[in-house]
Amino acid sequence: MAKLIGGLGTSHVPSIAAALDKGLRDSDEWKPFFDGYVPAQDWVAAQKPDIAVVVFNDHGNAFFLDRVPTLALGVAESYAPIDEGWGPRPVPAFEGATDFAWHLADQMVSGHFDPLICRELDVDHGMQVPMELVFGRPAAWPVKVVPILVNTIQYPIPTPQRMWDLGCVLRAAIESWPTDERVIVLGTGGLSHQLQGARAGYINPAEDRKWIADIGPNPQRYRDMSREDYVEVFGSEGAELIMWLVMRGCMNAQVNTLHRHYFAPASMTGAGMVLLENA
Amino acid sequence: MPTLLLIPGLVSDGFVWTAVTAMLPSVVADVTSQASIPDMARDLLARHPGRLILAGHSMGGRVAMEMARQAPGRIAGMALLNTGMHPRREGEEAKRQAMIDLAHGHGMAELAAKWLPGMMNSEATPDPKLMADLTAMVCRMTPEIHERQLRALLSRPNAAASLTFRGPMLLITGAQDVWSPVAQHQDIARLCPQARLEIVADAGHFAPVEQPGVVANLLADWARDVAVADAGIDRIPDTPLFDRPRANAGFALNKMAMGLSTPEGRAAFLADERAYLDRFKLTPEQRAAVLARDWEEMVRLGGNLFYILKISAVDPTPIRAIGAAQAGLSLDAFLETRLGKVTNG
Repeated sequence: MAKLIGGLGTSHVPSIAAALDKGLRDSDEWKPFFDGYVPAQDWVAAQKPDIAVVVFNDHGNAFFLDRVPTLALGVAESYAPIDEGWGPRPVPAFEGATDFAWHLADQMVSGHFDPLICRELDVDHGMQVPMELVFGRPAAWPVKVVPILVNTIQYPIPTPQRMWDLGCVLRAAIESWPTDERVIVLGTGGLSHQLQGARAGYINPAEDRKWIADIGPNPQRYRDMSREDYVEVFGSEGAELIMWLVMRGCMNAQVNTLHRHYFAPASMTGAGMVLLENA
Repeated sequence: MPTLLLIPGLVSDGFVWTAVTAMLPSVVADVTSQASIPDMARDLLARHPGRLILAGHSMGGRVAMEMARQAPGRIAGMALLNTGMHPRREGEEAKRQAMIDLAHGHGMAELAAKWLPGMMNSEATPDPKLMADLTAMVCRMTPEIHERQLRALLSRPNAAASLTFRGPMLLITGAQDVWSPVAQHQDIARLCPQARLEIVADAGHFAPVEQPGVVANLLADWARDVAVADAGIDRIPDTPLFDRPRANAGFALNKMAMGLSTPEGRAAFLADERAYLDRFKLTPEQRAAVLARDWEEMVRLGGNLFYILKISAVDPTPIRAIGAAQAGLSLDAFLETRLGKVTNG
């Protein structure tokens, strides 16, 4: 059966992509941010995963408001970077783990999660940035991908509790996939930020650091928080952090936090990552 | 979810709210034991914890206004029916005393016979079944309750002086209410411009039972919207989450911005912005906000930043400048006060 090698939570701030595109990787402003990811990149490279399941939200790029899937699952052969207004970014297309994705579709629906199933899909910075933060800028990505997209923009967005439960279904799907493939799950978004309204620019570094420290050993608080609580503590767009719960929910109750990193502000966002393996 | 608390008026009980309680989960308040309007308000706030949507009929409306004065942070919305906010009037005491004496001397049935007809639609013959039900309700009360409530009314606070509630408000009265005429509700609406006034045809002071279906529907639709808005998210200050009202209001604006995610859309916008905007059904306000690059206003009009940000792909504006504009700060002040006091590592 396939093996879940680890779970990684990370921000997917678009300014990270812009910094990479402008060659600012090693600038004074950005070097500390990117350097903080290096130990996790090394660990992932050594673990040689075959498939990355990437949980993220589309930011009004692949989906418009004419139809908003609460949950969507990619089963495509390939995912091209989408035009977000500035033209598609020069990153390689992502090869889909099509067979596993269909298995996941079966397992999700059997487990009472009913996603929109996407045969053709372009992906925005929500997926591109985490992949670059974990795998760098290779000529071709070293893993196949399965995108899981969560609506975190138009209310009602799904509950944190539901995201955790989705993680449990994802775990069972991975461990019932009859190959010896190695799977890593990326939960993305956050950390604290708010782009809209007079509270724009809100960040909460103290709560962000607590999240990074506790999401591995003490996730219960974050399962119990309401959507409102997320908005209050992490800002309106910081509520994206619910998607890390899919990652955390698919891990064991006991995990080892292998690496963590925090940096603020990345543009208008508290940014960071955590890398977990099952204890 | 907030609790919908239904507050009856003088010598009234849940009968007045029968049609509402059939439609919506709600609680009927008891105002028979307290000696003053402020005591009624205090007592109800203590007995009914959490956030409240208030609906007060007649005297109950005065109790609701007093609750909003005492605990504005707990009141998600307030519906006032057949009521008023004016203080005690010249000559009121003597008339009330005569009613107190009547109830003590001749009993509640006599009181009902004398009092109720003037409360009903002044232009129609009262429905005998309704009069019998109202008389039965009055007879469930006692002369002591009646006296206590009338003395509470006589010593009532001047609600007009403290009606600063700014949450959702619904005013309902009967077109033929001669006891609390339409004008009294218009006075309240002038103090509370957010209030919506509904005048129910063929109804007097007991509109909730004279036109039970109409009143209950008005109240239920309003209370549901208040509950949704309250459970959501607008409680977090300055945080306009993209809920149904905003998604509705902003659809065309966001669609216009979505059009900028193609090279063709961007070229058209750059070549002739007004002509490009003409393709979409923007309101005049939305159009003006786009032309002025007024980000705060675009968000207020239903724009979602993930869409309207695409305007900045055509006409470059840094995201932090868009944030500063919404926060009402200079860019430097925004960076320092919102994003600056942080440490890395």
